[in-house]
Amino acid sequence: MKSNVPITRLGKFFGDKDFELEIGMGQEWLIGDMNYTCVLYKIDRNKIKTDDVYGEVVSDGIKFLPPVEFNAQVTIAAPENKFIGTSTKMDQVEPGNITISVYLKTLQDLQIDIDFGDYIGYYDSENFVRYYTVVNDGRVVSDTKHTYKGFKPFYRTIIAAPVGPNEFRGL
Amino acid sequence: MAIPKKGPVKPTLPLNYPKTLLPRREQIKDMITKDGTYLPKSLLHADLDRGFLDFVKDKFKIVSEGINIPVVDILVTTQNWSQFVETWDFQNIDKNLEPPFLTIIRSPEVKYGNNPSVQYNIPNRRMYYYMEVPTWNGNFMGADIYKIPQPIPIDLKYSVAIVCNRMREVNTMNQRVMETFASRQAYQTINGHYIPIINDGFTDESSMDLEKRKYYVQKYDFTMMGFLIDENQFEVSPSISRTIQMYEVDQRPIKRPQKKQDPVQPQIIVLNYPIENVSQEYFFEYTCNLNYQNTVNIISYSVYINDQYYGDDVTIIQINTDDTLKIDVTKLNLGLESEISFTQVLI
Repeated sequence: MKSNVPITRLGKFFGDKDFELEIGMGQEWLIGDMNYTCVLYKIDRNKIKTDDVYGEVVSDGIKFLPPVEFNAQVTIAAPENKFIGTSTKMDQVEPGNITISVYLKTLQDLQIDIDFGDYIGYYDSENFVRYYTVVNDGRVVSDTKHTYKGFKPFYRTIIAAPVGPNEFRGL
Repeated sequence: MAIPKKGPVKPTLPLNYPKTLLPRREQIKDMITKDGTYLPKSLLHADLDRGFLDFVKDKFKIVSEGINIPVVDILVTTQNWSQFVETWDFQNIDKNLEPPFLTIIRSPEVKYGNNPSVQYNIPNRRMYYYMEVPTWNGNFMGADIYKIPQPIPIDLKYSVAIVCNRMREVNTMNQRVMETFASRQAYQTINGHYIPIINDGFTDESSMDLEKRKYYVQKYDFTMMGFLIDENQFEVSPSISRTIQMYEVDQRPIKRPQKKQDPVQPQIIVLNYPIENVSQEYFFEYTCNLNYQNTVNIISYSVYINDQYYGDDVTIIQINTDDTLKIDVTKLNLGLESEISFTQVLI
């Protein structure tokens, strides 16, 4: 049975109620004021048809669960101009990764989880959405940076790399 | 439902699109120039590059998810725009190439070749006999001699890279290469020349960074053992069509004394007058002078030329061609024969 041990550190001047208040104010800012939204396309690992040897999708594209929109702090890196491979001489401007910082409480409220390989859509404009695949799901949040002043973890940092339509096209 | 009529129904449907625009023009050009002359066709760097691109498109056809994996149909050089022109049909919204695709890289440096059939056989680019072609100018037969320089062997290094997201596509590409180069070499016919291609191995440049987009890049290296022939260096010259033999002799005087020739004696014309005959004729086919020499049993004579009186007892008679000479004589004794003789001098 999973034990619940109360967190008592910083107890003289900080506690659960303070923590919830701070998270609530942060969500108010992020959701109410900023309102950055992403869409999670979570892989449906039961329906997707994969190759037995390589685990690659064999037909009908990637199957995913109903998309879920969620709010997060979004940072997109600058594109990188480089060759494909090291010596193909084929030039391309590779879009930058997206870094998503999302409250753990947001994930809990929406009852979603983000895993390696899930796809995330982010609307660059009204009619263009770019898709990313999760390359770091930020599940490990034990570091001090992801805790509220060392009290408890309160957000995850998820890094996703862009994908092309050959791999994923969304809905 | 009505049964379709026999006429307009197409018995078969074409599975491939016919060539249009630039590929069609190139096809027509090839039809025109194929086997146009007795001479071999030029084989320069661009021809060899084009031949290798066609080789890859022909031998390394890969179908993935029901679609042919496209081949970048140029060798990307320093001009960036050409990449985008030739790859517009498999670019994504960022104008980046969307895997899977094949691309071909040629090393800019081209070194002296290892093709053993054309190495250092004829020094100094000397022209050598290629063939003799008969000609006819309407009057007599002749021939043209075609001469070409020895081709220069060159080695061109190519890399064929497959960029894709799936291991199955990597496997298929590897299978195509291994099958084609099962005996290490393959051949491509370029402008009628048989050019060997050797597989030098392959390298993997896949992008497997943890926090980057992952894709496979596998590069197969090839050496095309080609050679250079430039049709501008060919020579066509007419061969010998008629022979004249001439002798040259020594025209200096010979030291031996020349043999003295005897003078030619002039011919003597003798007219005989039998008994009771006092007139004779003689026809001349040439021009000459007759000099009186002698008479026998003749007192006097009268000369007529072409029945025209010339004179009596003349000692020199001038005769022209086709003249008829008539001489009437007065005999001393009518019961005997007479004769008169002249010496003729041809003029």
